[in-house]
Amino acid sequence: MAQVFYDKTTVQVEYDGVSETLLASNCTINYNNSLQPLYVLGNKGSLGHVPAGPRVGDISFDFLTSITGEVHGYPGNVINYLASGIKHSIGSTGSGVLVKCAGISGWGFLNSYAFNAQSNAVSTSSASFGFFGGFDNPAGLTLPLSGRITGSDVEAGSSTSTVATGVAHGRYTTLSSLYTTITDTANAAQEVGELFAADYSISFAHNPIYMLGQETPLLTLYTNATESINAVEDVYNSGLSYTGNETDYPLILESVDLNSLTDMRVTMVSGVQVGASVSVGLDDIARSQKTLTAAY
Amino acid sequence: MLGRIRREAESIAVNGSGIQGVQSISAQYDSVGGSPLRNLGINEIRYAPEGPQTASLGLDTLLTHTLVSGGAGYTSFDLMQNFTGDVPFSGIIDYGTEKLYFTQAYLETYSISCSIGEIPQSSTTSVIFGDLGTGLFDSWAPFAQPPAALNVTSYSSMGVNLDEFSTNRMTSFSVDIATPRVPIYTLGLGAPTEVIAGTPIEVNVNFSIDIDDYEIKNMRFVPEQTVFRDTTITLKKNNSDVELLRYSFDNMLLTSESFQAGADSSAATNFNLRSFILR
Repeated sequence: MAQVFYDKTTVQVEYDGVSETLLASNCTINYNNSLQPLYVLGNKGSLGHVPAGPRVGDISFDFLTSITGEVHGYPGNVINYLASGIKHSIGSTGSGVLVKCAGISGWGFLNSYAFNAQSNAVSTSSASFGFFGGFDNPAGLTLPLSGRITGSDVEAGSSTSTVATGVAHGRYTTLSSLYTTITDTANAAQEVGELFAADYSISFAHNPIYMLGQETPLLTLYTNATESINAVEDVYNSGLSYTGNETDYPLILESVDLNSLTDMRVTMVSGVQVGASVSVGLDDIARSQKTLTAAY
Repeated sequence: MLGRIRREAESIAVNGSGIQGVQSISAQYDSVGGSPLRNLGINEIRYAPEGPQTASLGLDTLLTHTLVSGGAGYTSFDLMQNFTGDVPFSGIIDYGTEKLYFTQAYLETYSISCSIGEIPQSSTTSVIFGDLGTGLFDSWAPFAQPPAALNVTSYSSMGVNLDEFSTNRMTSFSVDIATPRVPIYTLGLGAPTEVIAGTPIEVNVNFSIDIDDYEIKNMRFVPEQTVFRDTTITLKKNNSDVELLRYSFDNMLLTSESFQAGADSSAATNFNLRSFILR
């Protein structure tokens, strides 16, 4: 019997002696080998299945954008902390983190991380990790994944109902650095966009290094990261630059109590605008969307 | 000691005008976040607003005290009909010694109906994008004007321009106007930065008649025999020719008819005319 209700299946991420339980709304774990049927001339059927690659796994989950994670004093949550650390990393070797859900765990490398902010809505985030295994990690894992479905004893929370002050919210988040401003110097006129929503995402490329005689990688290298922001406004800037104007875009996500000590910060460094679109549908205003990207 | 508040201690004023003939008032807000945030491994009940915070206002009024003159930018003698456009209104509801304030209310539906033996009654529903309740409000300070003089409409002093009613007896009518609103919300603000008056406006006029020679159309009359009618209903001051309210709509499409007959009643028909108005 492995019937575990959702209230006993937390998503936990451990890194550098710190463990944080995320407010996940779902979680999916995949595990694949690469067995392929082997065909040869002279045989109609398959000779059998052989592995065409190592076993790998991945985990992905959506979670409420909590901003009160206890991660080395860095405002936000552990995923945001990891993403920021990796994208600014000057080394090549990835270290990975321990990711656990429903009794199953693996040593994961952050593949992607995203969050959104919409007017009058709770901000949600998502993250995915790749499991390669074989690393001589502190958890002693050798396979990409291990464990079985078991419930965990979650830490007792408050016995009374509370307002979720530790969750980022679009009602109090302005993301003012994303406002598009159009200036007509000849007429001393200026138009500043109103921001309706924004989506942030970053993806990381990891390269596991395999050696002969061993299924699992010797080490995993971090190679590069690509960051993107899509902002929805009511101002369209048709003056898209051909060569791009590199700009830093600091994003500050606030919670419902507007506590500046617990806001979450992300900065896109040297971002450039690579796209601008306008769409309109029935019973709505024309909304523009600009896409900003940065690479690390 | 337990007490109660009855109608003599209740009133409503809109944009400084006290409304008379009120039959019922309803005001309601839904505190968004009524459902807790849920997560895997949930161990605590936490709430957060999950959507815009809006309220609603409903008002049913007998047309006993229509405005004496339009004035103050009003074009209709029925105060609430003046808010079918893009202008919001604010107001105050008095109940006993307490007051309930609301701001930035936008009319969503306006209806007027009358049956034989009744005083015409208007009903409105509005959505409130500003504030509803108590506490500090913006600079607007509502006040109630003293009650206006009786200026009552009546079923016996009304006119309808449709030919059918020369030989068929109209027993009731209703006019329903739906004015869509499109609030635009931005990041960082609870109230919309703009409320767009949506289009088109849907108008439905319903008549109930005791029939003599009324001819019900064939249900497959569209498109060969599509019926469009210009409809005008005028409400006059009781026992006079003084016109107080006029509802006039062109090119209304006949959309439905129904027939009822019973052992104890006259044969009757209901029909609906509908049009859409762009603005």
